[in-house]
Amino acid sequence: MSVDPRARRRRNRAISSMLPAAALALVTTLIAALSERSPSRLTLDLAWAPPSASRPFGSGDAGVDLFALVSHATVRALALAAVVSLVGFLVGTPLGAAAGIFRGRFERWTLRACDLVQSFPTFLLALAVLSAVKTPSRLHIGLVFCVTAWAPFARVAAAQARVLSESQFVEAARALGLGGVAIVLVHVIPNLLGPVSVQIGTSAAGVVLGETALGFVGLGPPDGVSLGSLIEQGTLAMLRAPHVLTVGAVAVILVSGTLQLASEGVRRWVHVE
Amino acid sequence: MSGRGAAAGSRSRPTDAIVALVRLGATVLGRTGGAVLTLVALASLVFLALRVLPGDPAALVLGEQASEADRALLRGKLGLDRSLGAQYLSFLLGLARLDLGDSLARPGTSAFAEVGRALGPTAALAGLAVALGALLGIVAAVACVGPWLGARREWLHRAVLVVAATPLLSFAPLATYVLAVRLRVVPLPGDPESGAGGLCFAAGLLSLPLAAQVARIGRAALLDLGHAKFLDVAAAKGGSPWRVWVVHALPAASAPISVVIAAQLGALLGGAVVLERLFERPGLGTLMLSAYASRDIPVLEASVVAAGLLFVAVQALAIFIHAAIDPRGREG
Repeated sequence: MSVDPRARRRRNRAISSMLPAAALALVTTLIAALSERSPSRLTLDLAWAPPSASRPFGSGDAGVDLFALVSHATVRALALAAVVSLVGFLVGTPLGAAAGIFRGRFERWTLRACDLVQSFPTFLLALAVLSAVKTPSRLHIGLVFCVTAWAPFARVAAAQARVLSESQFVEAARALGLGGVAIVLVHVIPNLLGPVSVQIGTSAAGVVLGETALGFVGLGPPDGVSLGSLIEQGTLAMLRAPHVLTVGAVAVILVSGTLQLASEGVRRWVHVE
Repeated sequence: MSGRGAAAGSRSRPTDAIVALVRLGATVLGRTGGAVLTLVALASLVFLALRVLPGDPAALVLGEQASEADRALLRGKLGLDRSLGAQYLSFLLGLARLDLGDSLARPGTSAFAEVGRALGPTAALAGLAVALGALLGIVAAVACVGPWLGARREWLHRAVLVVAATPLLSFAPLATYVLAVRLRVVPLPGDPESGAGGLCFAAGLLSLPLAAQVARIGRAALLDLGHAKFLDVAAAKGGSPWRVWVVHALPAASAPISVVIAAQLGALLGGAVVLERLFERPGLGTLMLSAYASRDIPVLEASVVAAGLLFVAVQALAIFIHAAIDPRGREG
């Protein structure tokens, strides 16, 4: 831990660029948990009504309260993004670390699998998988994203582990008779967490945009509580009720923007260390 | 010693060229093998998803209320009554012959004919958008590093970063609303009568984030060259900044730029579903969605495979261009 004031200032800046994402998650979770507004209650005579005192964001299709819809959809998008990027992190990091340490055929096949998965058009994959189930649910969408989520983590971890495998502490561990698995778990993984964790924010932002795109073309969750369905509503009713589109578009920009900002913050943090 | 050196020297030119060519060929072959593997995996996944996962495709197509006789007839027509291995074999054979059977929604037209008809509008939109985006992006990248803008370069760079981080899905409908509905300065891109104007507007909107990505990567690549000796020499010989950056630096930075352009083109073709829904234009994505909605299995398979083929082919092209321009990208 350095006490250099410049390093401290940079670290503070790194932390402060992670704050918007945390604040967004906290506020929308509180609203979704505590508010009595429901994203599924329909008030037909308020359909497409513009913003008012009782409904600050106005109403959408069939009189759904957009304030409730936006907060619930944001919470769910953030939760999906968190789960998917966590799964990707937990699967990809050990796999990549092991590939970088054990080398040989194992590394070749792991990297080949990364190539294959990363050159997959995610959208077509989603379409293929979701077309097989009658009503695509959030679980299916999450599964589709998890299929490809591990690859970038594995790639970064493998690259880092290759570098670490030549470092002296790994050599010392080998000389002390530690097995490959123990070296990966105890010595390599803790030392590559920094660079790998930068990927979490990037992955999460990608998942939010992917879920929005799926919802937008009608492949989203059946209850319609997703940012993509909101933008779809807004695009269809662009002439009648422009506030719907504005609310949806601003929400997507906010969510993906704060996540990207947070991952930029993690990047700065890692460079400070 | 000297004899060997002389012999190597005399042979070096043709052999070097041949070795380079063979290496380039090996790279391309290796990458093409990977691309074919990706494509077969995607096709097999579509095949499996529609057949192995629970649920009777015939019931999905005809609805739950259809009589058992109708369903059996459709299963026979789609070959679903045969064993899975036999179905897969005939699916792969059909794929190789570009014949996956007739469309269910429109009997009499083959699935790939439908795909071929939808490809034109998709290719026009994606091609125009990428061409515009590449041009704009390269101009912005050069402006970001050249001396013309002075201190305003930093502003341009920030604008590029903001545009690159803005999700197209939220920005494009807003821009359509403001420009086409409110101000009426451009035609609605979804209007069938908008013609070339609608196409240009849609492509222009799409090209903005593309241009931002190209500018971001291009600026980084040009800055990496930064004070390379050959640029200093060019400047010392009295070359104008235009000559230094455009004639000398830009070709040296062309590898990452061409790769990012090709990657964007691939993403546009693979993600045509969203784009066409966004601008309500016909094309491959619209075909895919309608085939999905009506469970038109042959068309769905054909269109997903075609979109995957375009995506993978453009990626392979990017790697080829990279390998051809930059010898560092040639191994592996």
